Amino acid sequence: MRPFTYTRAKDPAAATQALAGNPTARFLAGGTNLIDLMKEDVERPTALVDITNLSLAEIKPITAGASKGGLSIGGLGKNTEAANHPLVRQHYPLLSQAILAGASGQIRNMATNGGNLLQRTRCPYFYEVSMPCNKRAPGSGCGALEGINRLHAIFGWSEKCVAVYPSDMAIALAALDAVVRVRTASGQERSIPFADFHRLPGNTPEQDTNLAHGELITAIDLPQNRFADRSYYLKVRDRASYAFALLSVAAALEVSETGNRIVQARIAMGGVAHKPWRALTAEKMLIGQEATPANFKRAADAEMAAAQPLEHNKFKVELGNRSIVLALQMALNGGKA
Amino acid sequence: MQDKNKLTGTPVSRIDGIAKVTGKAAYSTDYPVKNLAYAVLFKSTIAAGTIRSIDTAAAEKAPGVLAIITHQNAPKLNVDGGIRGGALLQSPEIEFHGQHIGLVVAETFEQARHAAHLISVTYDRKEPKADFEKLMKNASVPKDKDKADAKRGDVKAALREAEIKVEEVYETPIEHHHPLEPHATIAEWTGDRVTLYNSSQIVNGAQTAAAKTLNIKPEQVRIVTPYIGGGFGSKGGQWANLVLTAVAARQVNRPVKLALTRQQMVNSVGLRQRNHQKVSLAATKDGKLTALAHETTTHGAIKNEFIEPCGDCSKIMYDTPNSLITYRIVPMNVILPTYTRGPGKSTGSFALESAMDELAHKLKMDPIELRLKNEPERDPSNGKPWSSRTTVQCLQVGAKAFGWDRRKPEPGQNQQGNYLIGYGVSCGTYPAHQRPTSAIVKLKRTGNDVMATVELAAADLGTGTYTILAQTAADALGLPLNQVKVVIGDSDLPPAAGAVGSVGASSYANAVNDACQKITDELLARSGKQFFARPTASQLMLSEKLTDFQTRIDAKPLESAEEYSAHSFNANFAEVAVNRFTGMVRVNRFLAVTGAGTILNPKTARSQIIGGNIWGIGMALTEESVVDPRWGNFVTRSFADYHVPANLDIGAMEAIFIREDDQKANRMGIKGIGEVGIVGVAAAVANAIFNATGKRIRELPITPDKLL
Repeated sequence: MRPFTYTRAKDPAAATQALAGNPTARFLAGGTNLIDLMKEDVERPTALVDITNLSLAEIKPITAGASKGGLSIGGLGKNTEAANHPLVRQHYPLLSQAILAGASGQIRNMATNGGNLLQRTRCPYFYEVSMPCNKRAPGSGCGALEGINRLHAIFGWSEKCVAVYPSDMAIALAALDAVVRVRTASGQERSIPFADFHRLPGNTPEQDTNLAHGELITAIDLPQNRFADRSYYLKVRDRASYAFALLSVAAALEVSETGNRIVQARIAMGGVAHKPWRALTAEKMLIGQEATPANFKRAADAEMAAAQPLEHNKFKVELGNRSIVLALQMALNGGKA
Repeated sequence: MQDKNKLTGTPVSRIDGIAKVTGKAAYSTDYPVKNLAYAVLFKSTIAAGTIRSIDTAAAEKAPGVLAIITHQNAPKLNVDGGIRGGALLQSPEIEFHGQHIGLVVAETFEQARHAAHLISVTYDRKEPKADFEKLMKNASVPKDKDKADAKRGDVKAALREAEIKVEEVYETPIEHHHPLEPHATIAEWTGDRVTLYNSSQIVNGAQTAAAKTLNIKPEQVRIVTPYIGGGFGSKGGQWANLVLTAVAARQVNRPVKLALTRQQMVNSVGLRQRNHQKVSLAATKDGKLTALAHETTTHGAIKNEFIEPCGDCSKIMYDTPNSLITYRIVPMNVILPTYTRGPGKSTGSFALESAMDELAHKLKMDPIELRLKNEPERDPSNGKPWSSRTTVQCLQVGAKAFGWDRRKPEPGQNQQGNYLIGYGVSCGTYPAHQRPTSAIVKLKRTGNDVMATVELAAADLGTGTYTILAQTAADALGLPLNQVKVVIGDSDLPPAAGAVGSVGASSYANAVNDACQKITDELLARSGKQFFARPTASQLMLSEKLTDFQTRIDAKPLESAEEYSAHSFNANFAEVAVNRFTGMVRVNRFLAVTGAGTILNPKTARSQIIGGNIWGIGMALTEESVVDPRWGNFVTRSFADYHVPANLDIGAMEAIFIREDDQKANRMGIKGIGEVGIVGVAAAVANAIFNATGKRIRELPITPDKLL
C-alpha cells in the first residue's frame, strides 16, 4: 500500500468534483475490493474520496419513466440490505439469491450495490504484481492465456486478456435487464443498459466498464417482469460458500398460463467471460417452445457450441451445458429440485 | 483406566477459553513491548537465478525507515544452524519464487511496507525447475537412509501370480498449513540475550535453532510462546523470519516486530509436498493380500530434501507376505517441504485406502470385510507385538453407529433428486511415542488452601494442552481444577518435547503426573509417617503445615515400550451427496472412530479429531496450491484461491473413542490424537464418491470438474 489522501464527500456533487481533477483519485465505498487491491499494490490511488455518507442507499418502487412499476436500488445500499429487502425477495428473488451466493455475510454487510458492479477480476495474474497482466499493467502480456487458466473465460476473450468478471449479483442483474443510473462528472444523469455497462477485453482489458472516470453510480433500476415465480441462480464452485464461481447461471422463465409454453426466457452466465454473459442464442431458441428438459438441452447445446475454452478450462463447456439445463429446470419448478 | 472421581477423562471446558474469546490471551505479536519498530519482508520475483542488483536508495530516503537489510549487509549467519528453508540473506542466489531477499525496518508498519515498494531488484534469471510432471522422470534415490527401499518377500512374483490385482497411481497436490495465526515474531535484545516472542510448536527446538543460526549460545535465546494460533507442522521447525527479526532488532538497536502476510505464507514456512504414489495390491480370490507395494515419487527444495513418509501406513496396516516401500525424489525450485498434519500418513493413506476400496470392488467384497481379512497379528514391518491395536473395533463400532448396512454395494444406485448418495470407509494409523520431558511442580499453601503450579516448556497449539495438564495435576495432587496453574510456552522452563508428531499429550501429561507422584513421595518421606491409604500431596501440605514445596522430574519413556509397536488407529466413515449435474460434492455425514488409548478430555479430544477430519475433507475436495511451471510462483496465494472448507461444506461430524488402557505404550496409556484425525479421511470421502457415482478419482482434490 502506498501513501494516499483521504477525504469524505458531503454530497454527490462534491464527490464527482473531487475526482474530476485527479485521474488517480478513486471513490471509496465498502472498500471490500479496493482496499485489498491496495494492500496487494495492484491499485495505487493517490486520493480516496469516501462516499459512504451520501444518501444513495434507498430501495424504492419506480413510479415514473421507462422502468415504471419496477424497483430502484440505491448505489450505496449494502448488498445485505438489497438481498433481504421484502420487495426484492418478492419481485426479484433471482437477485436476492445471486447476492447471497456471493462472498460472505461480513463482506456483504460492507459491500455496496454500486461497488459490487465494479469488482475487479480475481485472476491471480492480475493480483500478483510480479506477473504479467495487461489489465493491471497494459502491454505487459497476459499471464493466464497460456498459464493456469482453469478459472478463466470461454467466451469473448482476447489474446490480451482471458480474465472473468467475478460478481454474482451482476449476473442476475444482466438476466433482469437492469439499468445502471449514473451521475456524470459534470452533474448530468445518464442511464446505461446493463448489457452495455461491462466490456469485453478486446485491446483495452484495463477498462472493465464503460463508466468514465469520476462517474458515480447512483442507483440500479430493475424493470418490472413476470419472472418472480420461475427464476433460479445456480452457482457451481469449488466449495459451498465463499468461493468465486467456476460457472454460474441466472435463469428466469415466463410460461404461458395455459400449458407449458415459454413466453420469455432469460439466461445470464457468470464465470465464463469478462462481463456477465447473456446466453442470447439459447434464449431465442426457447421462446415459443415447450419447457421440457429436451428443449433446455437443445438451447444449452446451441449456446455452448460457440465456447472457446483454454487449456485448463475445457470442463466449463460441459459444465455450462449442464448448468443451463439444471438452472432452467430449477427455475421452472420455482427453485425446487 | 478412567475413574469416576477423576477429572481426567471428563469433558472439562478449556481453562484458557475465556482468555481467548475475550482477547486476553497474548499471541506472539500481542506483547506490549515498548519502542517497537516494524519489519516488512521483500521477496524475490523469480524462482531461480541470482540477484544482480538491489537499489534501495529511494527506500532509504522514505519517511520512517531505520534499516534495510539484504544479503549485501546482513551479518554472517550459520545456514546449517537448524533454521529450515534457507532464505537467510546470506547470498544472492535465488532458489524459489518469493524467497526473502531483504527486509525494511521502519518506525511504523505502513512506512516499512511503503518503503519496500520503492526497492528495485534486477536478476540474472535461470529457467526454474517447477514442473513436477516433467521433473519426476528424473527422480532418484533419496539421501535419507530411513527412506531407502524396504523390501519383504518378492512383490514382483506375487503380482505376476496374483489372482486379483490393483495397480494404480494416486496424486496429491502441494498443500499449505495456513494456520489462522500467520507466523509472527517480536525480537527484543537485552544485552547479548534476545527474547523472541514467536509461535513455536517445539519451544526448545526453536531456541536451539535460533541460537545456532545467530552464532550465539542457547542460553542467550529465550522463546516465549504461551499461545499458538495453529501450526499443523509449519511452526514445528522454524524458518528464516524468526532469525531475521532478531537480526533486525540488533541492527536498529530496538525491539522489532515482523508478521507474515497470508500471501507471504505460501513461500516462507514450508508446505506439504506434491506426491505421486503408485500402489500395487495382489490378492487371492477370497481377499487375502499376497503383495503390497507403495512407491512414492516426490520433490524436495533445490538444496535440501524432505520426504513425508507416504509408505508408512502401508508398512503396518495389513498382513501380507510380500511388501515393498520406496521413495524417489527430485529437486524443485520451491520452498523446502516440511511436516504437515499426519505427515505421509494422511497422503499415503489416500493412496492405500483408495486401492483397498478398488480391490474390494473387484472382489465384490464389502470393504470392511476385506480389511478384517487382512488384519495383522503383529506389526508386519518389524515383527513386534502391538501394544494394542483397535482397527477391528473401530471398523465394527463405526459400521454399527454409521448405519453401514444401508450402503448399496453397487455404485451409482442411490439417487435422491439431483443427488447421488454414497458411503465410504477407510482406516488410518499414527505412531504413539512419548519423548523425554522435564517438569517442575510447585505447591504453595495459604491457610487451608493449596495452590499448585506446574511448569514445563511445552506448547499449546490451541488443542487443549493447558487443560489436560491441569486435569492431570489436579488428579495427581488431590486438588480441584481451579487450584492448579499451568505455565508453559517459555524456554526458561524445564525442557520439554514439542507439540508435534502426536507426542505432546503423552510426553507432557506423563511428565506432569510423574512430577506430582514424585512430590507426593517426597512429602510422604518428609513426614516420616505411615499411612493406611496414600494421602495426596495436598493433604500432606496441610498435615505437615508446609507453605512452599517443589520438585522437578526428568521424565523418560518406558524402556519396555521399545518392545512393542504402539500406534493410534482409526476407521473413517463418510456419506457424500454428489450433484449429478454439476459435480459438486457435499459430505453429509462423517464419523471417525479412534482408538488412541487414554482420552484425557473427551471434549477437547473431539475438537481435535473433527478438526483433523475437516482438514481431511479439505484435502479430499478443495485444497490445492498451484504452481505456474513457467515462473515457479504459486497462483493460489490467499484464502480466496486456496480453498479450506467453509462452514457450509461441513455436515454432521461425529467422533467416537474406543475405550482402552494401553499401559504398554506409556504409564498413562496416552497415544495421541493430533495426527491420526486426518489419516484416512480423504480416502473415505473418495471411496464414498465412487460408491455414489461409480467414478474413481485418483487425483486430489476432487473438484466438480473431475466428476462431470
